[in-house]
Parts: sequence; structure tokens; C-alpha cells
Amino acid sequence: MDYQVILVENNRLMLERLSSVIRGTSGFSLAARYQQAGDALGQSAMFKPNIILLDIDEKGNLGLVPEFASAFPGAAILCISSHWDAKESDQIAQAGAKGYLVKPFSSEELTEAVQTFSKSGMAQGSEVLAFFSPKGKSGKTTLIANLAMSLAARSGEPVGIIDADLQFGDMAVFFNLEPKSTIVEATRDVKFLSPITLNPYFMAVPEAENIRVLCGTKKPEFAEMVEIAPFEDLVRMAQSLFRYVLIDLPPGFNPISVASAELADTTYVVAMVGGGFEVLHMKRALDVFKAWPDYEQRVKTIFTRVSPCTEKERELLEQELGYPVSSIIPNEYLLVSAAANSGRMAVDVQPDTPLSKNINRLSKDIMGRRIQWGAP
Amino acid sequence: MEEQGRRGNVITVFSTASAVGKTLVAINMAAELARLGYRVCLVDLDLQFGDVCNYLHLVPERTIADAQQAAASNAEAFDAMQFLDVYKCDEISFSVMAAPLRIDEAYNMSASAVQHILQRLQFRFDFVVADTTSAFSEMNLMIMDMSTIITFLGIVDFIPTIKNMKIGCDTIRSLGYENGKIRLVLNRSNSKTKIDLEDVENILGEPFYHVLPNDFGAAWDATMAGVPLVRNADTALARDLRALVARYTNLEVADESSQNNGMSWFKRIFN
Ligand SMILES: Nc1ncnc2c1ncn2[C@@H]1O[C@H](COP(=O)(O)OP(=O)(O)OP(=O)(O)O)[C@@H](O)[C@H]1O
Ligand SMILES: [Mg+2]
Repeated sequence: MDYQVILVENNRLMLERLSSVIRGTSGFSLAARYQQAGDALGQSAMFKPNIILLDIDEKGNLGLVPEFASAFPGAAILCISSHWDAKESDQIAQAGAKGYLVKPFSSEELTEAVQTFSKSGMAQGSEVLAFFSPKGKSGKTTLIANLAMSLAARSGEPVGIIDADLQFGDMAVFFNLEPKSTIVEATRDVKFLSPITLNPYFMAVPEAENIRVLCGTKKPEFAEMVEIAPFEDLVRMAQSLFRYVLIDLPPGFNPISVASAELADTTYVVAMVGGGFEVLHMKRALDVFKAWPDYEQRVKTIFTRVSPCTEKERELLEQELGYPVSSIIPNEYLLVSAAANSGRMAVDVQPDTPLSKNINRLSKDIMGRRIQWGAP
Repeated sequence: MEEQGRRGNVITVFSTASAVGKTLVAINMAAELARLGYRVCLVDLDLQFGDVCNYLHLVPERTIADAQQAAASNAEAFDAMQFLDVYKCDEISFSVMAAPLRIDEAYNMSASAVQHILQRLQFRFDFVVADTTSAFSEMNLMIMDMSTIITFLGIVDFIPTIKNMKIGCDTIRSLGYENGKIRLVLNRSNSKTKIDLEDVENILGEPFYHVLPNDFGAAWDATMAGVPLVRNADTALARDLRALVARYTNLEVADESSQNNGMSWFKRIFN
């Protein structure tokens, strides 16, 4: 049966326009339409709607979302607005709306929105995790790719990866993707996008349907086309799509890594054990983050290629560093490089290795401290 | 007034992957040039997390950040020589311009200020050797433009690194330098890998100019002792580092003709 749609739109011309889009979309029936939200609230039950498109540009309508949600528990409320707004999108998710659509929309966008949001709803309390490393070769791309697999599998929720290592991002290689669009196009277009139209810029991962990846630039010289303000908008918009947004960063402090760390709920500082000076580099990096009053909550540390990968070793690193070490990842060089060479993830290939165990533990920690929005 | 006269060589050690041995090679080039009697200054342009002083066990008293500040406050009186530390070991002695002590100082260094400082050093030294970070940053593009020779260092370990080496090579070539300016050097050869060297050379479109062997023990010992490997010629790595410098100073010119043909599975993924 078709989706039964209730349309609430104050503007008479827009009402007409959207009505004809809905009528022309296969799988959708326009059950009723109203210019006033109050009429919709009082009269729609008759039509047993399963989708309510609510215009929130009209003053006061946003405040009615919770009432709609409780009056029509069997319906998904999608807010429609002439522009996308990060703050508003957060509010409506908390209020109980499933998603967000920018009007006027096309049949494709309507279909896509319903598909995307019916799976999970608009990700609520989405978390941004930024992965910072003082120097390159920290093992963080391996870590992020495998952590994403683990988070997606365990939580069943959508995970987005943004490869913001602008010049030499490797995420596409790790997942064996051929990106049709990258962070360059996404940041270029973001001001015309909404979550639904941003979604296709992320590449699907064939092996993991809950993971999508926004790949890095194809050439180093494209890096400078990525500007900070649109990048920040992009990350916020991605939060409407994904429960977890993982950002891979270029090494060191630079505009993109600083902006990402500031946006992120948690910044992981990652370094690989080996050269002898990694603790020193990590300390220097932490000194910079200590400027934040709440850095102890927001900044966590991870060492990779730790051998032996034991609790005792973690404590030793912690002592040397003088700061909590959240996680240690064992040396699985051959496993990881074989996996990367074949475009598969190590946790996927071999679920019982110490590597997978430690990564699963980290994802459990991340899920354990998830922020809960509105009790069910 | 701009100084006139003879300006020394600038040798930059660059790579597009991290931890491939730039710092180790830069230090040993500087040390070997010094051992041969040249006046050498090693400049650490890994400004935020530079390792030159770590590897040489130097505690710098002044850094490049102090030099930038001095030049900015009084350009007339600025003397770059006052911002150098000296490294000494046996008969080897060379100057070091250290990376800034604080990250915020590093973050605020400008490429043009560094260029100005390096130009001053060129009047005083036969060789200025620059260690860099693995990125096409404004700073690195500036130093590459200034360089007599760019040592483009790579290792062959797994595909992401090779992809970045390929992209790096293509990008450097797109800068339009003369052919002889860029020298492809392979480090850590023979390290654990299943990837064939010839395949890599095919992908890069040219053979390696020089190959340095993998010797973890020697590299580790040298770092822990804070000495350059080339002090002794007791390891193959030290000998090959010496040989590389010899080729740069034209004391010895070997003929490289390692060509090959045939495509493989490996090349295809880059097409
Ligand atoms: N030929 C070699 N054989 C064995 N180990 C080596 C060799 N060259 C370098 N190494 C080791 O590899 C590690 C990385 O080297 P180094 O710090 O010089 O790299 P880098 O390119 O400067 O790294 P970064 O990009 O992080 O600054 C060091 O531990 C070093 O001792
Ligand atoms: Mg280095």
C-alpha cells in the first residue's frame, strides 16, 4: 500500500506545488492537506497517515512537533523548510521528528528521505569523533575503518566516515571504493544541500550497509578547495544522517584538524609506538588541547602497534604520558596490511584477533557513554 | 641591503608518506657532508613535531621561531648565524637550526619568513639540508622551489603508501622542475613486503636513483646514542648513505640503468 501522506504547508502556492509532487511520486498518496497545523492536528486521524510533512517555516509549527508525535504514533513526521539549519535540525530530532526535507523537493528526494529516515530516523544525539595525530603514520586510518565496522555492527546504527586528511587520505583505498564525489564537492555544494541530498556524496560500503564514507581529495592540490566554514556545516549536516561521525584528519595542527577537534564531542589523539619519541609528541599535542577547560572529557589518547598489548603496557604508557590512555591497539602489521591491500577490514576478516578484540572494546566504550535523548 | 655573492646548495628531504626516514636521511646527509669537510647547516622544517634535536640529543637554546621574531623586529640587524646550535661528534661538526619549542610558535611561522632566513644561511654554508613534513604545504613548496636538489624519499610497504608516493611524484613533476632536481630514493629496501620493486618503479615512471637498505637495529642504536650512522662505515646502511652523499657531491657517479618492462596486477589498480 502507498504511504498515506498529510501535507501541512502555509503558503498556498507552495502547497499546490508540493501536492503535485506527492501525487506524482509512485508509492505515495496525498491523503489530506492543510494550511494550518491546528487543522492537521485535529482532523488527520481520519486518514490513518503514516507520513506527516510539516512546514516549520511557519512560526509555532516547530513547537507542535511533540503534539503531532503523540497524536500520530504510527506516522513519521518529516519537517519541511526552505533551508537547512543545523540548530533547528537538532531541535526537531529531539522533539520527535524523524527527518528533515528542504522544500521544494522532487519525487526522488521525497522517496530518498523516507528511505533514509525510515531505517533509523534522523540520528539522534549523533556524536562526532575526531582522530588527530601529531605525526603521520599513526595507524589511525586503520583504527577508524575498523572501529566504524565494529560500531556499525554492534549498534546497528548508521556510521559516517569523513576523510578530511585532505592531501593524502587513504580511506577510499582501505574500503576499496571508487569515489564519485569527495569532500571537495561536498563542501563546495553544502550550502545548497540538506541531509538527504548530502547523503549520496558519501559512498556506500558494499560489505557494511550501515557505513558510508565521504572520501578524501583525489589530488593533493585539491586540498585547498576545502574551506573551513562549509566543512563545519558539512559535519553538522552529517550528524542528521549518522549516529556516529568519524573524522580522519591530516597530521599535526592545521585549520582543518583544529576546526574538527573543536566541533567534535571527542577528539582521539593517536600515535604509533616505535620511533621512541611518540610519547613526547603526544605530550606536546596534549599541551595544546589543555587550553580547553573541559579537555579531560573531550580529549582521549590511543597508542597503536603496542607490543605486548597488555594492561601493564597501557599503564606504563599512561605513566610516561601523565594522562589517561583510553585504548591500546596491538601490532598486527601483516594482518592490517594484507587487509588494506585487499580492500577489506581486519576486524571483518579475522574477528578473533587481539586487534579486533581491542577495537570492539573501544566501540563498546563509545556506545556505553552515548548520550540518551528523551526516554523511550 | 641584500647580500650579494655565492649561495650554497639547498638539499631538501621530502616524502609524501610519514615515517619513511626523512629525518634519519637528512641528519646523515648533513653529517656526511660535514665529515667530508663542507660547511653544513641542518634545518628542521618539521616545525610542530620536529625530531632533529630528538635524534641528535640536542637541547636547543634558540630556534627558528626566535630567528623569525628577530628578523621581524629588526631586519637590518638580523643575523641568522646567531640562531644556530652546533652538533659535534668526533670530527663531524655541523650547525642546526632547531624547530620551535612551542606548537603555537610553529603554527604561526610563515613560509616567507623561513625563506628569508634560509637565504641568509645560504651565504654562510656550502649546504643547507632541510628536513620536512609529509605534505604539500606552503612551507614545503617554498623550500622545494629554493632547493638545488629534492630527495624524494619513499618506502615500499603497502598499497596506501605507494599510492601516496605515486601521487607525490606526479605532483612534484607538475611543479615543472628540471629532471635532475628530483631524486627518487628508496629507503628501507628489503623490509617485509610482497610488493615487487620493479612494479613500483613502473608505476612511478622512473627507476630509483638510489636505494637504502632496511636496518632497524642500526637505525635504532644511532637514534638512542644520538649519533649519525655515517660516523662509521660499519653497516651497509651507513655505507649506502655515504654513497648517496658522494653522488650528490659528484665525487663518484655511478650509472643507473635498472629498467624493466611488463605490467602486473599491481600496476592496474593505479590506472
Ligand atoms: N633504512 C632504515 N632502516 C631501518 N629503520 C629506519 C631506516 N630509516 C629510518 N628508519 C627508522 O624509521 C623510523 C622513521 O624514521 P624518521 O623519523 O627518520 O622518518 P620521517 O620520515 O622523518 O618521519 P616523520 O614523517 O614522522 O617525520 C625511525 O624509527 C627510524 O629510525
Ligand atoms: Mg621526521
